[in-house]
Amino acid sequence: MTPVIEAMDLGIAYRLARNRAGTLKEFAIQAVRRQVSHEKLWAVRGVSFEVAEGEVFAVIGPNGAGKSSLMKAVARVLPPSEGRVIVRGAVAPMIELGAGFNPELTAHENIVLYGTLLGRKPEFMRERVAAILEWADLTEFIDVPVRSFSTGMLARLGFAVATDVQPQVLVVDEVLSVGDETFQTRSRERIEELMAGGASILLVSHALSLVEETASRVMWMDHGRPEMLGDPEEVVAAYREWSG
Amino acid sequence: MTASTFVYDSDQARTPLVTEVRNLWAFRGLLKLLVVRDLTVRYKRSALGVWWTLLNPLLTMAVLWVVFSQLFRFETPGVPFTVYLLSGMLIVTFFGQGVAATGAAMVNNANVLSKVYVPAEVFAVSSGVAAAVNFVISLIPLFAIQLITGTGVPWSALLIPIPLVALTAFTLGVGLIIAAAAIYFYDVLDLTNVFIQLVSYLVPTFYPLSIVPERFVPLIKINPLYSFLQVFRGFAYEGGFAPGWNFAYMAVSAVVMLALGLWVFSRSWKNLVVLL
Repeated sequence: MTPVIEAMDLGIAYRLARNRAGTLKEFAIQAVRRQVSHEKLWAVRGVSFEVAEGEVFAVIGPNGAGKSSLMKAVARVLPPSEGRVIVRGAVAPMIELGAGFNPELTAHENIVLYGTLLGRKPEFMRERVAAILEWADLTEFIDVPVRSFSTGMLARLGFAVATDVQPQVLVVDEVLSVGDETFQTRSRERIEELMAGGASILLVSHALSLVEETASRVMWMDHGRPEMLGDPEEVVAAYREWSG
Repeated sequence: MTASTFVYDSDQARTPLVTEVRNLWAFRGLLKLLVVRDLTVRYKRSALGVWWTLLNPLLTMAVLWVVFSQLFRFETPGVPFTVYLLSGMLIVTFFGQGVAATGAAMVNNANVLSKVYVPAEVFAVSSGVAAAVNFVISLIPLFAIQLITGTGVPWSALLIPIPLVALTAFTLGVGLIIAAAAIYFYDVLDLTNVFIQLVSYLVPTFYPLSIVPERFVPLIKINPLYSFLQVFRGFAYEGGFAPGWNFAYMAVSAVVMLALGLWVFSRSWKNLVVLL
């Protein structure tokens, strides 16, 4: 069976911030002094893996290991600098949920806008508003501008919109750790439903016990390079030992 | 969802122009939402709301009218000064607002673009289209003034969509180039404002062409905005076609600028998000 996600020798490079001219003025000065630099920082390099249908693939590693960049490449946000990534099916990116919310717009307007940003049809989103608000337990706030929402309310709304349709791939960045206990239980149930519906999950997490418990395979990354890939228990144990 | 068959392959070749047009079509629903958001959010917290769109050009015109018709007197033969002034301002404001908004679209939406996949050109184009809608709304005060001053509104006003579409294309083209440049160098946006002002003073908005010294006239006529303005004024109140030369110059600069803008944007796209 063809894998849902394929990463082949993937590399993502950023221009180094300390050398990058932020303004035309600085660039002109650097150019005159012949200091223009094309040095690159490889956030991810030489990473290859495949994720099968229904699989939970977890990525662990210290801060700055390149986990988020990797996720963004799968979510199509960052184009790879080298190598190749193929994703078969719709992706629900749960990277900083609600990044598309506009504080001045109401909950209703934001649901439609955010859903459309995620590639759904506005007409479809309008039909789903009531159901989404009900799941997020925010029905009474339908006409309230989201600038007056709390962080928890925003997270609930973002999660409800992102998981409203069955995706083939869920890209999850620690979002399970937002909200109160009730919401965490409900969001975990929602994710289980989506998995039962055939979704593969790419999970980035620091919660090693959660990774051990849920993942079918784990990749440990450090400095953009894959250190180890395989069985959750083995990889997590090796990573625990390494990080002390 | 039908998206189940969708495959994303990072190696898929991107054809400049074709890819952008296809993306814009695929995301047309979002494009419409963004335009509406642009137009409504701006006035959401004000008591007058969207009425500002009508009031803004009138108030600016009032200021300019006091300055240029009472203090510095310019004669505009055949048309009341207010109509001449407002028609010129509408074109220049459309261009200025459109270029500034399109140019800043990528930087302003960086937080979305770096988290959710949306073709970046959708944001840029929506800002340009919003400026065009603003222009259409502000035609209402222009026509009102034409009726009040007895200039009237000729039938040729129905042809205004032609310069409107052309100027939208031209504005988007310039804006897309600036949007791409602004990602590399933030101060490009400041320079753009200076550039817009310069270009705006170089077209006869508040002065008649007749006061310009002979040797500077070519400098004004070579400015593509001049051709848009002439065609627009022809349709809006003169009631006829501007010289064919202006019309051709307008059409050519619109097509060339839009193609150039999309091409530059397309070429630099791969670096854009990484830099945001």
